[in-house]
Amino acid sequence: MPDGAAPVLDVRDLKTVFRTRGGEVHAVNSVSFDLRPGELLGVVGESGSGKSVTMMSLIGLLPSPPAEVRDGEVILQGRDILRASPEELRTIRGAKIGFIFQDPMTSLNPVFTVGNQIMEPLRVHLGMTKAQAEVRAAELLDLVGIPDAKRRLKDYPHQFSGGMRQRVMIAIALACDPAVLIADEPTTALDVTIQAQILELVKELRKKLGMAIVWITHDLGVIAGIADRVMVMYGGQVVEQATVKELFGNPRHPYTRALLKTVPSLSGGRASRLQVIEGQPPILTSDPTACPFRMRCAYAFDRCARENPRRRPVGPGHDVACHWDPEPAHA
Amino acid sequence: MLDAATPGTDKPRKLVEITDLKMHFPIRSGLLRRHTGDIKAVDGVTFDIYEGETLGLVGESGCGKSTCGRAILRLYEVTGGSVVIEGRDIAALGPEELRKTRPTMQMVFQDPQASLNPRMTVADIIGEPLNEHTTLSSKEKLARIYELMDQVGLNRAFANRYPHEFSGGQRQRIGIARALALNPKFIVCDEPIAALDVSIQAQVVNLLEDLQDKLGLTYLFISHDLSMVRHIADRVAVMYLGRIVELSPRDDLYEDPLHPYAKALLSAVPEPDPAHEAVRQRIILQGDVPSPANPPKGCNFCTRCPEVQPLCHQQDPDLIEVRPGRYVACHFVKPEKPTAGSTGGIEAKERNQQGERR
Repeated sequence: MPDGAAPVLDVRDLKTVFRTRGGEVHAVNSVSFDLRPGELLGVVGESGSGKSVTMMSLIGLLPSPPAEVRDGEVILQGRDILRASPEELRTIRGAKIGFIFQDPMTSLNPVFTVGNQIMEPLRVHLGMTKAQAEVRAAELLDLVGIPDAKRRLKDYPHQFSGGMRQRVMIAIALACDPAVLIADEPTTALDVTIQAQILELVKELRKKLGMAIVWITHDLGVIAGIADRVMVMYGGQVVEQATVKELFGNPRHPYTRALLKTVPSLSGGRASRLQVIEGQPPILTSDPTACPFRMRCAYAFDRCARENPRRRPVGPGHDVACHWDPEPAHA
Repeated sequence: MLDAATPGTDKPRKLVEITDLKMHFPIRSGLLRRHTGDIKAVDGVTFDIYEGETLGLVGESGCGKSTCGRAILRLYEVTGGSVVIEGRDIAALGPEELRKTRPTMQMVFQDPQASLNPRMTVADIIGEPLNEHTTLSSKEKLARIYELMDQVGLNRAFANRYPHEFSGGQRQRIGIARALALNPKFIVCDEPIAALDVSIQAQVVNLLEDLQDKLGLTYLFISHDLSMVRHIADRVAVMYLGRIVELSPRDDLYEDPLHPYAKALLSAVPEPDPAHEAVRQRIILQGDVPSPANPPKGCNFCTRCPEVQPLCHQQDPDLIEVRPGRYVACHFVKPEKPTAGSTGGIEAKERNQQGERR
């Protein structure tokens, strides 16, 4: 993928707040990132780090109230979709941006056949006739590796296994040939051997179709195998962003470093004790004026409590939001 | 406690012996709810757990690992087989004897949200087993509750709070404290970290390891997280469709898995190392796990096995020792050579009948 190409998706200073009875929750704080054509951007973070909310905010999928996208812009192919009307958004969702959710059982409608659900975006967005849509739907099921595709169009979601359902979800997301595919923990609910099948499928589809993908996960192993670039989120903010090699080889943020150390590995040395990140993730009730990681950070100093660090470049394509200046890990 | 003087003894004895354990759930259908079949969730599982060790039990969802753990503690009425803990066959005990045996074996559940009563305070939850099985005065009970809270790293000041006021990791600590209340010897940990965030998982795993060192606990650690099992377990059993396909010491399994399913399972786990991931050869299994209501004829794994042979469709392989201490159920993993005198691991020399410490 060409490095200098214009991004398909450009997100600037996105801010999302939830209004609750207990006050405001600042779920997403000034998140910026871009996505280049054909690229796979991995988004890593723990639950509550804001990774899903960021992506839902992009395409207006959050219920409002309580959610409110307060600030920022989201440029998709040169157009700010944050300011698009609901009607316009509807033509974008599913057509230009495809979405794959974590749990394929709850995101498929149990009372419609799988064929019906794949044909829906084809007919709505592309204006296909029923016959055309049926042919295309069968092609799509075949593309995602479901055998006997034509016959299975008539089946209902419960007649598919978990892995197969996720393949159906991918088929729906790909139906209109979107420029951007957002996959929110698509393999988390699956078993490892099924996850391996899906990851293999996604790699193949990328080669064939070349869409840009945002892949949200908490599994660093999945990211290592599939992503080109990685964005690490913590407490509603992007704390580090780098190419996959750079991030795993030379992590700069204390959180990224700790995260990489806390996960046991399948090969190599076995630590007698796991490294621990002490404490709990932050509760994002106040406007972030300090570093969200400072309470759990081994390197925190007085400036971290006074000032929320901005992202600063530390290498080519590598930036980090931290006041502390570490030595490179591989020195 | 005769052997209490030799902690970390190098001749471990069997604490739990499981022989041909079967757990079938009936399928009833039709207007008359007639018994039309069985879900064979656990179908003939045999293994031992040595005192003080952590046995990892891994497999994919639906393979029967949780059912196996629950059947061992007799949270289900087992269909067949025996579970001998400290010389007593748990599977055959009457209700009153079983109740008296409960303190030696406890369980930590997967979802601390669902396994803690939302209307009970932390002190009530941790103290409930004490009410049931001991005759402590309320003052002694409270002292024990505080002691347990200290042990699992919960602040004593929170004793009167309710589960919803705690984070996931803390809730799991409450579940662990409850399991420890009666000084058990054997704890079944059923996916104790699956519901937690990565940064919290390490905290809970370290706590479990510390407690094991301090209290000499024996764990059956059920998990689908193969990396974490490599960290915590001494030996690992791999389950597939109600059967154990391989049982090996940890390092042997991870360095050189012998059963085709164990190989595929390990190769499917993504590693947090991009350089390694780029060159890694994966065994991608085709298809899905068959239904345990209708397992294939012959070897359970024959429908997905990359190395399948005609024999596999006819005959079910037994779990046999193919290397010292390594058990594999596959027709095509042959014993290396008959090792003279080896009877498969370490034999129990003596049997300790004493169950409780207090």
